Amino acid sequence: MKKVAKKPKATEIKPKKKLISKRVVRPRRKAAVVASKHEIPLSDMKAEQAKYYTGITGPSEPYYKRSAVAELEHRQIPARYDEDIIVLQIRDPWWAHSYWDVSSGTANRLKNELGDVFDRARWILRSYDVSCLNFDGSNAHRFFDTSVDFDARNWYLNFGSPGTSWCVDLGITLPDGNFITVVRSNTISLPLDGPSWVTDEEWMIPDDEFRRLYGMSVGLGPNVSSPVGKLWQERLKKDISSRGLASMGVSSPVKKIKEKGNFWLVVDAELIIYGATEADARVTVQDKAVKLRKDGTFTLRFALPDGKQVIPVVASSAHIDETRTITPIVARKTTRNP
Amino acid sequence: MIKGYLCLVLHGHLPYVRHPEHEDFLEEDWLYEAMTETYIPLIAMFERLSQDRIDFRMTMSITPTLASMLTDDLLQQRYLRHLNRLIELAHKEVERTRWVQGFQELAVMYLNIFVNARELFERYHRNLVSAFKRFQDAGNLEIITCGATHGFFPLMGVVKASVRAQVKVAVANYEKNFGRKPRGIWLPECGYNPGDDEILKESGIKFFFVDSHGILHGTPRPKYGVFAPVYCKSGVAAFGRDTESSKQVWSSVEGYPGDYYYREFYRDIGFDLEYEYIKPYILPDGVRINTGIKYFRITGASDEKMPYEPRVAREKAAFHAGNFMFNREKQVEYLYDALGRKPIIVSPYDAELYGHWWFEGPMWLEFLIRKITYDQKTIKLVTPSEYLAENPRNQVLTPSMSSWGWKGYSEVWLQGSNDWVYRHMHKASNVMTSLAKQNPDTNGLKKRALNQALRELLLAQSSDWAFIIATGTHVSYAQRRTKDHLLRFFKLSEDISSDNIDEEFLKELEYKDNIFPEIDYRAHQ
Repeated sequence: MKKVAKKPKATEIKPKKKLISKRVVRPRRKAAVVASKHEIPLSDMKAEQAKYYTGITGPSEPYYKRSAVAELEHRQIPARYDEDIIVLQIRDPWWAHSYWDVSSGTANRLKNELGDVFDRARWILRSYDVSCLNFDGSNAHRFFDTSVDFDARNWYLNFGSPGTSWCVDLGITLPDGNFITVVRSNTISLPLDGPSWVTDEEWMIPDDEFRRLYGMSVGLGPNVSSPVGKLWQERLKKDISSRGLASMGVSSPVKKIKEKGNFWLVVDAELIIYGATEADARVTVQDKAVKLRKDGTFTLRFALPDGKQVIPVVASSAHIDETRTITPIVARKTTRNP
Repeated sequence: MIKGYLCLVLHGHLPYVRHPEHEDFLEEDWLYEAMTETYIPLIAMFERLSQDRIDFRMTMSITPTLASMLTDDLLQQRYLRHLNRLIELAHKEVERTRWVQGFQELAVMYLNIFVNARELFERYHRNLVSAFKRFQDAGNLEIITCGATHGFFPLMGVVKASVRAQVKVAVANYEKNFGRKPRGIWLPECGYNPGDDEILKESGIKFFFVDSHGILHGTPRPKYGVFAPVYCKSGVAAFGRDTESSKQVWSSVEGYPGDYYYREFYRDIGFDLEYEYIKPYILPDGVRINTGIKYFRITGASDEKMPYEPRVAREKAAFHAGNFMFNREKQVEYLYDALGRKPIIVSPYDAELYGHWWFEGPMWLEFLIRKITYDQKTIKLVTPSEYLAENPRNQVLTPSMSSWGWKGYSEVWLQGSNDWVYRHMHKASNVMTSLAKQNPDTNGLKKRALNQALRELLLAQSSDWAFIIATGTHVSYAQRRTKDHLLRFFKLSEDISSDNIDEEFLKELEYKDNIFPEIDYRAHQ
């Protein structure tokens, strides 16, 4: 069972014939609106996030005063650059992201040429399967169309076939069905979602052996039963996230100490011992020397657990052979109800 | 008999966070915490191993942003200030916890950690890069580079000049810090796009790393899985990550750091103690943050935590190191028979996870290295360069596009919350390419402006910003950084194009974004 990896699966599709698009397309919201949305499950991210974690869970904005470069303070990044552009970037073996724009010059030219028809035209992303070929605009293996709202200016496309190459035209379809390309994207080659079928004579490996090696390499162990092509899926399902960090038995960085919704109370007690003596006297508290302030005062602070503390405070004069001892005795008892 | 190799790789990285315009800056704590908890403990470990004449091998990337921060005067001074504050707090804690069973010894432990950190820091004249260099020069540590500011290459690929600039600027920075060219690179986020190896080759880089599926899904099929490196057509070698050993360390089932006796990362006295007492050690505006002093162990899933017991945790770390070694021995024995050649197990981790997240991580690593040295004869620690010198014959294939991020590709950095950045990034990259082309040879103010423009572009490209925006802590900071650097870049580019450079503005940027003083804007081609 050998195939060439990049050969497109064109079995049921005649070249250059339009596909009925069954692709699922997720509508995009404007970037600014979604900026604070977390799409990655936080449980998958903890350890990687830890290095950016300071304990702050809310916005740190008040602390980050704005740029001191006065003339930039009120500038915003331009929403558009008045250019004809469409860029395609790989998200994973199935999906790619595209963003686009059309310059006012091009838009006006189209309006002038097409007149009223332009206003009724629909914006389309036409995706061409250009695997293993030099695309000249008309020799794609197949293509499919996706209607888009021009103003979204970005879209996720599901090509659904790992290992294939794609190029996308942003264009308009006219009421008569004609498609006009406005701008053409770069070409991307989606990665495979499993091992290549291409083998190298000099470095041959039997399928069974390869399956064991694969299983070991991705953390599934040598005794995997799935066919080679499904192993990556199996690994993803097992949630061995790439750095293998998923849900360690520890709380999440953005979790407060106590769960929200669970009413809670924490109480603790500390004891402050303070006093004063001659500034050059020697003072000990529970036999440990204490550093006096310049004016002869001192303050100590202790966490106070349940039980009795006997706290002898002894001051010895620096000049005459004299000492004073004062001993506070403190007891703490905590009760809980319920 | 040695039947295989273990290649431990730590990826040391933080984005460039340096704000001279503010007296105190929260996000700089990322660096200070990593210094105290990860970098200094690692250096201390290297020192102990050397003293005991253990001829260890380890590979570490120190990214150009991290190296730049570690060698920066201002940040060095600020770190010392930070550390002195912590030492003051730890002294108070030793006193405060006198009556509480088990806590005073912890306070003393932290006091010792901080005092020792300061001693080591001063001993290397506050320059930790020189400390790491010492162990590279001794032949124990192989330091590799990374993208200049950790830009994620697969999402920069439409303007290859930017990928090239990330590599070239990184290599120049490495040479400045380490006195020779880097042999290897850690691709930011392990993000590989077929063909990028050609760019690495231009800079003399001999090897890089990919996640396991980068090799496994490469074409043609890899005969040895991830257990031998491959050559790309460019001749640059790619090493594949072994998931098994990563899982051993990080998985929720077998993972070590989740052990109930290890220290709990999220219980910090910055949040636990009485407000007036802790106030001098949190944010100046009174918002509580972590201090680094943490008294509890993980204990279990509930919020009720037991006090940390260092002796028990230490035993656990030793046990886990033994377990890791045992599993590598078994793995290597199996593979040696199956492959008919000595396998290499490549185990890369984020450096900051050791010590910062997993408090006992550096201890575990030290136990592991010592045990491998004395307690077994099956596996040998190796660096990639050493391995390639011994095993020059390897299969040629094209690795698959991949990353080590969540789900294995680009989705972490390309999703609803952060996909808006690429339009601007690519625009700026294209503008930078034209500027470099239009000004092949220039000097004075214009040259400074062009160099600064490239600094701003690189700083905007850090993958950290998109990551943080996607994961939700410090989001506004990451958005602001992205926008600030882009705005600064576009203003500079306008000034350069109109031949009307605002020197005051330029000066201020050179003061604030002072990274890579050696930069040459012509790297962006």
